[in-house]
Amino acid sequence: MMILAKIALGAVGTMAVATVYTFREGTIRVDVDEHRAGGSHVHFWVPAAAVPAALHFVPDDKLQEAVDRSRDALPIVQIVAEELEKYPNAEFVTVDGQDEHVKVSVKNGKVYVDVLDHNDEVHVAMPVSTIKEVVENMADRKQAQ
Amino acid sequence: MIDRIRKYVKTFSITTAAVLFMTPFAANAQTNSTASSSGNDKWLHVRVVSSDNKGETVRVNVPLELAEKVLPAINKDRLHNGKITIDRHDVEGVDCRALLDAIKTTKDGEFVTVQSHDSDVQVAKQNGYMLVHVTEKRWNEDKNSKEAKMTEKSRVEVKVPMKVVEALFSAGKDELDVVAALRALSAHAGDTELVSVKDGNDTVRVWLDSKNSSD
Repeated sequence: MMILAKIALGAVGTMAVATVYTFREGTIRVDVDEHRAGGSHVHFWVPAAAVPAALHFVPDDKLQEAVDRSRDALPIVQIVAEELEKYPNAEFVTVDGQDEHVKVSVKNGKVYVDVLDHNDEVHVAMPVSTIKEVVENMADRKQAQ
Repeated sequence: MIDRIRKYVKTFSITTAAVLFMTPFAANAQTNSTASSSGNDKWLHVRVVSSDNKGETVRVNVPLELAEKVLPAINKDRLHNGKITIDRHDVEGVDCRALLDAIKTTKDGEFVTVQSHDSDVQVAKQNGYMLVHVTEKRWNEDKNSKEAKMTEKSRVEVKVPMKVVEALFSAGKDELDVVAALRALSAHAGDTELVSVKDGNDTVRVWLDSKNSSD
């Protein structure tokens, strides 16, 4: 009985530590809602720390394709990601119209893109550190060529 | 002996768990301290207000430091290494460098005015700033007098520190050094109202201050 309790405690402890480790960099959230008949609703979140790790499992040819496509934009995104870390709370772009609202902001080190266009809503949130890590990974790949 | 080892393992486990649990808070605190270090940064604000049917308002806030670092990385069309190549046709044959030299040597507050049928352009130097006022004219025919009546179509007012203008023209003959101008703008003390445009239903305002959001 005592052994079972110790195993359970060990398992719970490991899970708690694993959860804290996984979520230490926050989460990436994507919410898409099309408020109309037949409109799609997509909601998902993933731990930000999992993304750079997941990149290692992306097939080389697919990652290469992404690197090739973003060749021109990569250095710019890299600089922006590095610089954004200096501005953890700021509103960069806001568009307020009658039926359209767009906001690109950084809050607590997370980039938020919120779009409301008539009946469609898109909300994306991603930690700046994750963007930086992904871009650095892709830049390393580019340099290795 | 075993008890002592167990005690060490227990203490180590608790300490490790505590450190791991505190990592997100430590990261957050680090981010906040970085935020306060960027408190003296200058921000460039652009606000476009359209009072037509759609009634759109666009606000863009960019830290000058960010713009300074990003611009040299953009190499597209006429923008290369933070410099824009200008074509003679873009400035309709006006020698900008000669114009700048002329402004530098004129007295404070003295306007150089170029009047034409469609627009009036006034350029002046005042308290270390270059002022440019452009008024576009619209001619409407008056049915009673058969004479065309002039109304203001649009009005553009630009106020830029002279040092920024000089930095802008510090590159080659047919180039504008945007990054050098941004650096000069960063070094400029105080808040500055740079551009204001009134064109029909649209108003545009570009200004510089230390706030990270537009009012």
